[in-house]
Amino acid sequence: MNPSDIPAPAPDPVRTGAAERAYSVRREKLILFLRNPQGMLGLFLVIMFFASAIFAPVFATHDPLTMDIPNRLSGPTADHWAGTDQLGRDTYTRVLYGGRVALEVAAIGVSVSLVIGLVLGMVAGFGPTWLDNLLLLIFDAIRSFPTVILALAAVALLGPSLKLVLAIVIVTSIPSYARLARTSTLALKRTEFILAERSLGASTPRILARHIMPNVIGPLLILSAMDVPVVVTIEAGLSFLGLGVQPPTASWGTVLNEGYLIIRDTPWMVIAGGIPLVLTTLGFTFLGEALRDIFDPKLRKGR
Amino acid sequence: MTALLDIRSLNVDFRTPRGRVHALRDVSLQVPKGKIVGVVGESGSGKSTVIWTVTRLLAANGVVESGEAIFDGQDLLTYPEPRMQEVRGEKVSMVFQDPMTSQSPVLSYGQQMTDILYRRPEPDAEKMRRAVEMMRRVGIPDPESRIAQYPHQFSGGMRQRAGIAMALLMDPMLLVADEPTTALDVTMEAQIIHLIRELQREFEATIMVVSHNLGLIAELCDEVVVMYAGEVVEHGDVRDIFYRAAHPYTRALLECDPAREMTRTRLLPVIPGDIPDLHIKPTGCVFAPRCPKAMVVCRERQPDAHTLEGGHATRCHLLDPGLAEGPVAQAEHTAPEAVSEGPRSSGAPLLEVDHLSVRFRIMGALKARVKGVQEPFVDAVLNASLTLKRGETLGLVGESGSGKTTLGRAVLGLAEAHLGNVTFEGRDVLGLSPAAFKPLRRDMAMMFQDPVGSLSPRQTVRALVTEPFEIHGLSKGRLDEEAERLCDMVRLPLNFLSRYPHELSGGQARRVGVARALALNPKLIIADEPTAGLDVSVQGEILNLMGELQREHGLGYLIISHNLPVVRHISDKLAIMYLGRLVERGDSEAIFARPAHPYTEALVGGVPQPDPDKRRALVSIEGEVPSLASRPSGCEFHTRCKYATERCRAERPGDTVLGDGRIVTCHHPLTD
Repeated sequence: MNPSDIPAPAPDPVRTGAAERAYSVRREKLILFLRNPQGMLGLFLVIMFFASAIFAPVFATHDPLTMDIPNRLSGPTADHWAGTDQLGRDTYTRVLYGGRVALEVAAIGVSVSLVIGLVLGMVAGFGPTWLDNLLLLIFDAIRSFPTVILALAAVALLGPSLKLVLAIVIVTSIPSYARLARTSTLALKRTEFILAERSLGASTPRILARHIMPNVIGPLLILSAMDVPVVVTIEAGLSFLGLGVQPPTASWGTVLNEGYLIIRDTPWMVIAGGIPLVLTTLGFTFLGEALRDIFDPKLRKGR
Repeated sequence: MTALLDIRSLNVDFRTPRGRVHALRDVSLQVPKGKIVGVVGESGSGKSTVIWTVTRLLAANGVVESGEAIFDGQDLLTYPEPRMQEVRGEKVSMVFQDPMTSQSPVLSYGQQMTDILYRRPEPDAEKMRRAVEMMRRVGIPDPESRIAQYPHQFSGGMRQRAGIAMALLMDPMLLVADEPTTALDVTMEAQIIHLIRELQREFEATIMVVSHNLGLIAELCDEVVVMYAGEVVEHGDVRDIFYRAAHPYTRALLECDPAREMTRTRLLPVIPGDIPDLHIKPTGCVFAPRCPKAMVVCRERQPDAHTLEGGHATRCHLLDPGLAEGPVAQAEHTAPEAVSEGPRSSGAPLLEVDHLSVRFRIMGALKARVKGVQEPFVDAVLNASLTLKRGETLGLVGESGSGKTTLGRAVLGLAEAHLGNVTFEGRDVLGLSPAAFKPLRRDMAMMFQDPVGSLSPRQTVRALVTEPFEIHGLSKGRLDEEAERLCDMVRLPLNFLSRYPHELSGGQARRVGVARALALNPKLIIADEPTAGLDVSVQGEILNLMGELQREHGLGYLIISHNLPVVRHISDKLAIMYLGRLVERGDSEAIFARPAHPYTEALVGGVPQPDPDKRRALVSIEGEVPSLASRPSGCEFHTRCKYATERCRAERPGDTVLGDGRIVTCHHPLTD
């Protein structure tokens, strides 16, 4: 018998069982997602949020700063779909533009804290114990501050601004991402494939970037989807207190605040400022939960 | 003879998003009262599905299409769930594969066992008495105090004994054992087989054993059912199956078992091909695509069951009346041919391990100081010396916990050595910094135990096999060529390059592992359990491939394994390891033929033979591997050695060189 007689797996023109299984797993997840009404509703609301913020000038019926004094404090009319405020500015338009602020804070805040949290978490999980302990101490110290109180203190010192709001959002959400990334990294650190990489001579940065990162990022992305509403409400809350976005720039928080002051005259501003907050929160939460249910096998039903 | 369990034409499907998988097709089997019936098959044969169907514990997407499971006169498949709960545990009980995961880690054995007896209207003291009695019966020493312990305080073998005790506690009519020894070492396996046989006689129990291990089946069972791809291909008395197998699959399976081959062969038999996709109901014989005797009719029509004498039956067209051939003779369709030894081991040593010790810290320096512990370490490897020449294969064999994997890793600098030297091609490699070691990694590669788990899960096969080039900055711009070259070398179809590890079967993933290890043309490959997790029919393929590549490239192999029969076939030299020490070293043929160390003898004798007439009357070795933290005095094997003398208990033996160059660490080497 010469070596070529040793049987090899038959070359397959069609996909074999294993490949087809993997292919079907991906398709199965997509189908599961498409069939999940909560997830689809979440996706729809999230798309609405992005579209309304990005294309605010297209959808807007007025300029957000133009005053229409004769029609001030009106309810919904054909001209002003969601009524006007005490200066006669169109509430619908201001809510649309407020979404841009919310999107900006959410997008920058979540993505920056995700990246920093991921890197710090992987370093903590993969690095030496003393570094891990030091980073954990810092994470826990930051987590022990109540976000809003921290923001109040910072604003009192440095004066209100959107940048400050962003910085506070980033600093306070890094620890939760880092904690998650660290736990997943710790679990992977002792696996055989990481040992196999080390036996090939792969450097630590290479192992982290090419072999750990792709495996820990999934849960982090799901967490970040569920974190967006938190960030949006922090921004709205600080703006409501007058510590975030400064007038005349529109934000959901400032619209709510102004509406709150005139709620005895007209309830429409509070309603118009509150609805997008509620819908955004629901949208991202539903989307995040649906993704988690589908991609986290431990929570799935059945065996 | 009445059947206690009579499964009649059972059909089970699994619903998947891609359609139905026809997991069991027309499965019929009988378990007669008072007999041990073995169900044997490779992964994907549906042998476990049979158990889950009968105990009604099938996964949520499993559907019983048709069929009956008559147990004690009634069809289990029609029972309402509350009645089924009474059957499970009370009348049918199970012993699982992995006792670590099948026993509750937060309850003591006493608690778990009294819980099992919750239906019995007895006072708790009586239940506890029964539990202690049963623990004593399965050979757990000092059961009165050990029953209060938790699973993590038991060793693997003891846990499986406790699992058997739990299963027998209710005095079930049927005991189902699912791979009862797969998670155990050879010596433990022998003890468990012995225990099950003894208990069966004592309790006159009816037992159904599911396993892929032919040796276990031959040692234990009265009757055997052979399954392939969801069908029963052959069943009969254990001797009929092992001596007069009629179905080509059964014969191929028997031939593939390396323990069967008594002479050393470099080329192991294999069954070519893969298990069929069960989404499509096969039109012909399900084994036809891999069958060396397949005829036209095999692909067209399903074979009928043919009954031979003595209840022996098989489904194969070769037995169709009118066929000239009739029952086929014991054809060795994959007869292994001796491969010319050729220019093998030669020249200066490639790898030399000199008195290597590896220790692990078990408590911090401060804690040790406070507690007054002088040496807060356990020694995983102690004073191990090995030599490996170019083109030579050295098998490092031992039970789990013997330190063999740690030794392999220490050589590659993946575990820190405490004392000793490792020289590779004359250069000292111990204690090198990662940067200084990096160039050496081109010449030394490692294959890890888990074929799929040792591949980075989010990388394609192409990225995986070319990674060594990227890491070492070689073959820039020619990575595609290299990937194709490696794929060809391990005979993996090129379209596999874009796949991910989870899309590969165990054998295919192992090929990727081999390709990766060979990428940079190393001189030494350390292979940790190269056949772990592979079916018998595939393990031959991988070992043959490794052997062929060795002849081509003059590789040196250090093969780490607990599987003595496999290692013996491919190794030139063997080193037997016990508790971190090498107890016997030398030529593999000589060691296997005449073991000189009692431990080697126990390992050689511990392998169950796939031959029902070679059942062992006695267990070759009693007891368990002692803890590394409390090494026995003198010769560390004396606690389990049947030849141990006073001298063994007091004095550590030195190395003795035997006439044929073997080195044995024993006061009383077994020489004739």
